Amino acid sequence: MRTVSFDGSFAGWRCIARQLLEQDVAPSEISWQTEHLVGDLFAGTSEQPETVSSAIRVPKQLAELLSLAACYRHAQRWALLYRVLWRVVRGDQAAMLAGDEDGSELHRWAKAVRRETHHLHAFLRFKHRGEHSGNPQYVAWHEPAHDVLALAAPHFCNRMGNTSWLIATPEAVALWDGKTLAFKAPCPVELQALAKQQRDDGESLWLAYYASTFNPARANPKVMTGHMPKRFWKDLPEGPLIPALLSEARTGTQRTAQAKTVSEQAGKTVPVSAEEVLPVREQLSTLDTCRRCPLWQKATQAVPGEGPLNARLFLVGEQPGDHEDLLGRPFMGPAGQVLDQAIQDAGLQREALYLTNAVKHFKWTPQGRRRKHVTPTTEIAPCRHWLEQELDNVKPDVIVALGATALESLTGKKQGSLAMYMGQATQWKGRRLIVTYHPSYILRVPEEAKREQAQAALTAALVQARQLLEQ
Amino acid sequence: MELTDKLIILADAAKYDVSCASSGAPKRSSKGKDGLGSTDGMGICHSFTPDGRCVSLLKVLLTNFCLYDCQYCVNRRSSNVPRARFTPEEVVKLTLDFYRRNTISGLFLSSGIIRSADYTMEQLIRVAQLLREEHQFRGYIHLKTIPDADPLLIAKAGLYADRLSVNIELPTEAGLTRLAPEKEVRSIKKAMGTIRLGLEETAAEKNAPRFAPAGQSTQMIIGADPTNDRTILDTAQTLYGAYQLKRVYYSAFSPIPDSPNSVPLIPPPLLREHRLYQADFLIRGYGFTASELPTEEGNLPLDIDPKLAWALSNRDTFPLDLNQAEPALIARVPGIGVLSAKRLVALRQQRRIRYADLIRLRCSLEKAKPFIVVHDYRPSFLLAESLHLRTQLSEKPAQLALW
Repeated sequence: MRTVSFDGSFAGWRCIARQLLEQDVAPSEISWQTEHLVGDLFAGTSEQPETVSSAIRVPKQLAELLSLAACYRHAQRWALLYRVLWRVVRGDQAAMLAGDEDGSELHRWAKAVRRETHHLHAFLRFKHRGEHSGNPQYVAWHEPAHDVLALAAPHFCNRMGNTSWLIATPEAVALWDGKTLAFKAPCPVELQALAKQQRDDGESLWLAYYASTFNPARANPKVMTGHMPKRFWKDLPEGPLIPALLSEARTGTQRTAQAKTVSEQAGKTVPVSAEEVLPVREQLSTLDTCRRCPLWQKATQAVPGEGPLNARLFLVGEQPGDHEDLLGRPFMGPAGQVLDQAIQDAGLQREALYLTNAVKHFKWTPQGRRRKHVTPTTEIAPCRHWLEQELDNVKPDVIVALGATALESLTGKKQGSLAMYMGQATQWKGRRLIVTYHPSYILRVPEEAKREQAQAALTAALVQARQLLEQ
Repeated sequence: MELTDKLIILADAAKYDVSCASSGAPKRSSKGKDGLGSTDGMGICHSFTPDGRCVSLLKVLLTNFCLYDCQYCVNRRSSNVPRARFTPEEVVKLTLDFYRRNTISGLFLSSGIIRSADYTMEQLIRVAQLLREEHQFRGYIHLKTIPDADPLLIAKAGLYADRLSVNIELPTEAGLTRLAPEKEVRSIKKAMGTIRLGLEETAAEKNAPRFAPAGQSTQMIIGADPTNDRTILDTAQTLYGAYQLKRVYYSAFSPIPDSPNSVPLIPPPLLREHRLYQADFLIRGYGFTASELPTEEGNLPLDIDPKLAWALSNRDTFPLDLNQAEPALIARVPGIGVLSAKRLVALRQQRRIRYADLIRLRCSLEKAKPFIVVHDYRPSFLLAESLHLRTQLSEKPAQLALW
């Protein structure tokens, strides 16, 4: 058995562990002994350059685990660290996994250290020393269960900016002057006293807030103590309030959430009439209140057609998509861009056309956190009502049906294959009807050549429509 | 009125909004700079009140004067409560004072509707603007968004706030129309849509102005109307999909003083709220859909958690061999979480998984046991009746828990 003595710091341990590994010393042969805690407890965690060149390589994840677990206060801490390191370096990767016997202990320690660091971030309370007290302006006393001060302190440099502070613990002290962070261990007695004895009258607002934000109708001390262990209460300004708040909530007849300090005050209603407060909103159109099918429930809004009422060319798509549903306008998403391109290529102007959809609400189903388009079926017939109304209002000369849904809606029945109608202008109810692809179909064609063909067909249909108008 | 007195009234008035998250903000630091505050993506709960809820943000209303008459709300215009109004500077002072003492990580500001939606929204923005621009405050800011406010104001709010939220209030449109006559589902959803578009615009363009980097959330009140859990979860799933929400918060209705007859006098069981959060978690993190989660007469069972309920009604999937199964399916085993599932997959690449490994990973074996097979274990009561298992695994009815 070999007794290894070092300064008790992670850097010190790492240095020795390397030498031992290189000498092939097995964990069972070592007894670890730390000397008294010295001033440079925190040196080397980041600043000290690597002086020992070593051929030993460990996974980054292990290095991090070891440095965290090294902060865990335990008689066996250095022995476990070395055992895991030894096993991994010799090819037993499982040693660092949470499922392994040693690994699980290492993970548990690292987790406890992370948790204790978080506790310090959360439950530390700074006290203001007053405007004219000089530096540090804020002081805190905190008693962590593990050696986490060095890990936890830099957080407050980011948080407090140029404001100076001091955090004292029974073991060490961290000092921030607004520019540099320094540590001392052990913590000088006078700094301990300064941190412990500081009074701060400004805390009273916080105490008022704490008592007032508590909901006495749902007292749940078990959950509270689970998250905020009792050992921290003595250094929390709100700690002494807890028993009184709890007993009030338990013994009181209170069934409401309101704090007693509020319910005891005289109240007043706001004397206005229901009519005068109703927000000014865009009038709901009858389409907005349409309940002919259930699609409205999952949609943001109905998307009506848009364009001049004297438009001679009338384009009918399938249904609004994800973007159209949010914006309340047709053909605004990726398919809209494809259509815009075709409109431009055909020598037309979007502003002169009437654009609408066969179905006015977006039909979709959740896919993870996204909305997946679903082709409308039973919704087409009930929604035809609105399309017919638009046709009556606009009275176009030429209608372009974009895709099968549009065609089904216009003709009132499902039409086998689109191909049968493509490229010909048919006479329909005194108007000319042209059938072509829906722009979103074009987006879905995987082969580039075929996609270009489809895009050309769409453009050709629009050109054909324009020529019909020019006749 | 003294600042303390205002604070007491306006904190009390704000407690019904349950969200207190301070996570998801981008990295910001004040090190070496003027100003105050930092964020690193992780939320911090600075304290817990005796109701088990965390205090992460200063959560107050700018004012509890309100023109609206939402029946479930203590601040409705017909309610006989003490009223107060902060000046924007007072909220700024409180935020900075609390922040320096390390009691909060930021501000969650909401308000009663005064004058108009736009005016109210402008007041909220004013506070955030003062904090960010005059005091260079880099902590977390969550602004409640007033549904009927101008989209330009929403864009401005997103410039200063880390998170925006519009409350859906109630799970159904019928409920909202009945209990909140001044509110309208369409304008609530449109505001959520505006926020989602703002988020996507910022994500797509490198130099786009900052917009609510911690995303948007919403809150639904449970038990103020008779809507069942199935409908509640469907609504939640719809909102997640349509508006890319980070979170839906469920707030068990709290009876209010001088309660109007339109809302119940007793709160729903807190356990129901807890089950909804569990179900929501399964939808967000485990790939479950709302319709997969078994309900009884439309409600989630209270005696067992939703994952166990799902497993009991899908016995043909089990027992599952953890040395073979798909990682996503492992996470569906009751008592095994996503993290443990990942760790098990990492472990089985090294060697076969044994029963002792599950103990070390702190899986909840009481729950997991009937549903798994590992190298040295298979459940002996394979044929055990689901009903029997359920009785065995039921939680004590008295147990109350929060998230």
